[in-house]
Amino acid sequence: MFTDPVSITILTCITTTTVVAIGIALKWKARESVAIAAMQSAKLDADEAQTALESAKIHGCIDRTRRRQVEAVFDVLRDAVLVIDSHGEILHANEHASGILSVRASEAAGKSLQDIVIDHQLLATILDARSGLPKEGRLYEQEIQIGPETIAFEVQLQSVGRKDEPMHAVVTVLRDLSREREIARLKSDFVSKASHELRTPLSSISAYIEMLEDGDAKDETMRQEFYGVISTETRRLRRMIDNLLNISRIEAGLMHIDRVRVDFEELVDRAVTNMRPQAKEKSLEIHSQMADVDLSVIGDGDMLYQVIVNLISNAIKYTPEGGRITVVADTDNLTRSLHFSVSDTGLGIAPDQIEKVFDKFYRVENYRHVAQGTGLGLNLCQHIVETLHSGQIGLESTLGMGSKFWFSIPAEQDQRKAA
Amino acid sequence: MTSTTHNILIVDDEAHILQVLSLKLRNCGYSITTAVDGEDAMHQVKENPPDLVITDVQMPYMNGLEFALALSSESATKDIPVIMLTARGHTLETSDTDIPNVRKVLSKPFSPRGIAELCAQLLTDVPCHDGKRDAA
Repeated sequence: MFTDPVSITILTCITTTTVVAIGIALKWKARESVAIAAMQSAKLDADEAQTALESAKIHGCIDRTRRRQVEAVFDVLRDAVLVIDSHGEILHANEHASGILSVRASEAAGKSLQDIVIDHQLLATILDARSGLPKEGRLYEQEIQIGPETIAFEVQLQSVGRKDEPMHAVVTVLRDLSREREIARLKSDFVSKASHELRTPLSSISAYIEMLEDGDAKDETMRQEFYGVISTETRRLRRMIDNLLNISRIEAGLMHIDRVRVDFEELVDRAVTNMRPQAKEKSLEIHSQMADVDLSVIGDGDMLYQVIVNLISNAIKYTPEGGRITVVADTDNLTRSLHFSVSDTGLGIAPDQIEKVFDKFYRVENYRHVAQGTGLGLNLCQHIVETLHSGQIGLESTLGMGSKFWFSIPAEQDQRKAA
Repeated sequence: MTSTTHNILIVDDEAHILQVLSLKLRNCGYSITTAVDGEDAMHQVKENPPDLVITDVQMPYMNGLEFALALSSESATKDIPVIMLTARGHTLETSDTDIPNVRKVLSKPFSPRGIAELCAQLLTDVPCHDGKRDAA
């Protein structure tokens, strides 16, 4: 069968074609496989790229979140914080940095440090820091002009990352030293005043003792006078030390007081009775006006008595002979408090000195020669009334006409505050 | 102790200090005038020019430093030696008292005996004035 030449030729052709076709087909198949593989590969690459992109987005999101968290931490700090990159561009400035910048802190990011930091010395220091800082950073103090004020700052510079790394940054933290300086000044001022006030009676005591030793008192009368000065000044010194210690203990929260029901009227009566002889020496009258109501309060009787005596004693000291002192106690139903006042017809206090009279060691200069005092009495009164009894103390005065010192305390103290 | 008629002006706002120094120096033979602040002292200087001044630092109106400076700035009073007494202790800077006529700064508490000796020393070569010196 199919042995004839035509058949053989046809068969041959068919076979050849088939083989070729198969060959072509096989080639196509191979190419298709390659193409499929390539396509599959490309698809995989795309998937990876997509995954990487998604991952980058997530990480970017996380970075932004972290960055916002870090910035939020910077913003709650009381110190000014500036973060710059190695090119001197601001990465972040917290709210407190606004004072040292020419723009608002929220607008500082992305701007060049040179364009917005006002103080030239600070600018130069931060820019220098980009070229390298010791591992522990750099710490120094500098005064910076902020508006009309010159403020002392502690400046701390710290590098983040190596300077050849893209993430290299310089962090500048500025801490305002004003409060610390003010506290240091107040302490120094207090020591200076305390030293002066303590040395003054001590000088008299020591000088009069030496005069007695040297026989400078010519007769017994003069000797007695010297003993009198020594005695008076010793009491003054002791009062000053007692007052100082009491004020310090109250300020430190170490003063424990008895909170009991106190008959305030009895305290005032006792104080007036005890002060009358002193007032009589200057021909001063003390008038007592006690309201016909329950004047009892919860508090420390001894402490409140001390305040009443101090205010009456001041009125006697600074009221010229023949004057009048009026002591009033009443209750205020609206505020549920007890109100006490001591008015005098004395010298009065100038308006610019009224606020200072409760300060430690403040003494109205013009009256230093009128009477001796510790300069601590009213400060102690203020502490007893306001710190220990949650009350309020104040003063109304007209120069040359007299003064009215007053205090009010809640009739019922909050027992939770009881020390 | 020295027995002269040198006039010493004592300035202090503490009555006991004025009293004790006045008595001590009077007992030493000096003539004494007193003032309670710098302004009062300037008035006394004009009324009765002193040969020596003892002044406290912290006083109302015009303090001791301002008073000493005022004396040193006037030709008639610039040579009056001044002794300063201060209860401010270490808080008084040396530069504060760097005033030409301030010869000595003494801290309170002080010794009246020591002050009398210092006055004698500072007035050794100072002729006693007869109250006719022209004040500024």
